[in-house]
Amino acid sequence: MPRRRNLIARILPRSIVARTSLSILLLAVITGLLFSTMASWRARAAEHDRLITRVNELMSTVESTVSIATFLNDATLAREIANGLMKNRVVAGVRITSGPTPLYASAIDMRDPVNRKSMYVLDRTIYSPFDAASAVGAITLYVSHAELDSQASAYSLFTVWMLSLQMSIVAAAVAFLVYLLVTRPIKGISDELHRLEIRSGMHISFPSTRRKDEIGQLVLDVNSLISRLSDALETEHDLRLKQEISEKRLRLVFEKADTGMLILDKDGAVQSCNPAFVRILGPAASVPQAPLRDLLAPHGATVAKLIEASQASGEPREADLEIDLAGPRGKVWVELSVNPLGPNLLQALVNDITERKRAESAAQELATRDTLTALLNRRGFDTALAGLMANSRRDSRLALLQIDLDYFKSVNDNYGHEAGDLVLREVARIFERSVRRSDIVARVGGDEFAVLLPGIESAAKAEQIARNIISGVKVPIDIGGGRLAQVGASIGIALLGDAPESPAAFARRADLAMYAAKQAGRGCAYIAPAANDEPEATAAA
Amino acid sequence: MKTLALVMILATLATGVAGADHSAELVVIVNPESGVVRLTREEVIDIFLGRYRKFPSGRAALPIDVESSKERTNFYQLLVKKSPAEISSYWARLVFSGQKSPPFQVADVKTAVELVQGNPNAIAYVDRASVNAHVKVVLEIQP
Repeated sequence: MPRRRNLIARILPRSIVARTSLSILLLAVITGLLFSTMASWRARAAEHDRLITRVNELMSTVESTVSIATFLNDATLAREIANGLMKNRVVAGVRITSGPTPLYASAIDMRDPVNRKSMYVLDRTIYSPFDAASAVGAITLYVSHAELDSQASAYSLFTVWMLSLQMSIVAAAVAFLVYLLVTRPIKGISDELHRLEIRSGMHISFPSTRRKDEIGQLVLDVNSLISRLSDALETEHDLRLKQEISEKRLRLVFEKADTGMLILDKDGAVQSCNPAFVRILGPAASVPQAPLRDLLAPHGATVAKLIEASQASGEPREADLEIDLAGPRGKVWVELSVNPLGPNLLQALVNDITERKRAESAAQELATRDTLTALLNRRGFDTALAGLMANSRRDSRLALLQIDLDYFKSVNDNYGHEAGDLVLREVARIFERSVRRSDIVARVGGDEFAVLLPGIESAAKAEQIARNIISGVKVPIDIGGGRLAQVGASIGIALLGDAPESPAAFARRADLAMYAAKQAGRGCAYIAPAANDEPEATAAA
Repeated sequence: MKTLALVMILATLATGVAGADHSAELVVIVNPESGVVRLTREEVIDIFLGRYRKFPSGRAALPIDVESSKERTNFYQLLVKKSPAEISSYWARLVFSGQKSPPFQVADVKTAVELVQGNPNAIAYVDRASVNAHVKVVLEIQP
């Protein structure tokens, strides 16, 4: 079946004008044929009946004369009647009988089957003109089918012609009107649309007569559609230009930025990155699909946590990570910021913050170190003390030595500040030499120092260290120009006890012990009593 | 003149429509030597209207009309219910196209009787009063 349908489709023309006209005409022809056939069949039947009736009427017309002829057995009269009858075209033959005797008979042999088939036979009994009850003969008319049919057909043919003509005229008129009012305007619009180029200001024209009906509306709608379309195209064009510019800008930023930028998938593999990223993390970072946690080893767990957290919260998550790059650069600090981008993608920024970290720790150092002696300053000491006290354990003790330099002021006064600085630096070295590696030395005042001895075994050991310091400081210090300065040290020792104590209280105990040492004549060490004891410091041995 | 015409029309109508009175009753007569005893109406009709010019016995028949008489009018009226004009036109048609001829025309009843007396083939209609011993009545025309 599809082949047949395609064939039909190919035969029917494509043009709407041709198609409509053809369809209307085809419909007209079919309807016309149908109705003409029915009409002609009806007309023929009716005409046939009419002709038979007429023949019967003919017989009635001559009946009285025939009755006379048969009554009188008058063959002459019978022949005269028959001749008159046969002048009628449909009457093929006449037979008049008087009783059994034929008075007149046409030369038609009714025994011949051909004749029997092609003839109608109409009989009538004839009665006496003088006695209506007495039959005297009969008249028979032979009507030929062919003649009857041709007469009937002539009439019905006429009907058929008239109907067909009417049908054709109507159909043609309809087709023409449809063409004029509908299909031609539509075809016109269709052609114009086909040729249309979408530019601003383009529109299709109205069909020949400006119309207020549906076709006019169609044209209006199409025109408004066209202008909307061309506006949309213009807008899109503009947007595309803007987008291109925007992309170029971003591309530039991406390529030239100092910050490493990369796109990750949710498993942490690098999808794409910029040159800065490779510069920061080394050639391993340029491997396609490299896992970020490997590039930032050993911080894999942190990286994974950042990815998870940022995706869950929808916000950026950051961390500072120190990584060891094999090679000349060594250890670098990077700041990693992870930002969710889509359901399976994240954006990350990697900044080399090594310098900053160094600066930070330098600043930190600056904040906590005494610039002159390179020892911790008061702030650094307080922090260290607080830290040690927070972490102190029962089995290891903490000792604090508060050291005050003796006769330092006179050095400053006699030899000047430069000499004084020299002395300070020298004693700082002496302190450092006197203590263990784990001990902390700080300059907490102009000529005040503090030493923390974490994990000191005993008070005796602390005292020992103090004595070492004192003897060490006693050595005259060369301050240049052949001069020597001599200072001493007064030390107060406090041991952190079992009782809970604040760092301030602890320091004060050491301070008081130092004061006691000073009072006792300088150049000695005094041990502070335990926290809750009242008695004064006692001298160290 | 008008009155006379009117009277004549009335008389004709009267005789034509009302039928004959008893004294003018019609009978059909033949010669006694014809051998005919009785005739039926149909047989009389056949003879007078030209169907057969023979008696049932086979003898030739010679019908006689009394032209323009009331007997004629009555006869045909009673026999076949036709007027004289119709009978005349009947015969007129046949004169041109047929082979039959009308009955023999006589002037009056008396001549008709004389003919029947003298001719064994003759057959005529007369009023009963005119019947004599030399003719035979074969049918009485009932109104």
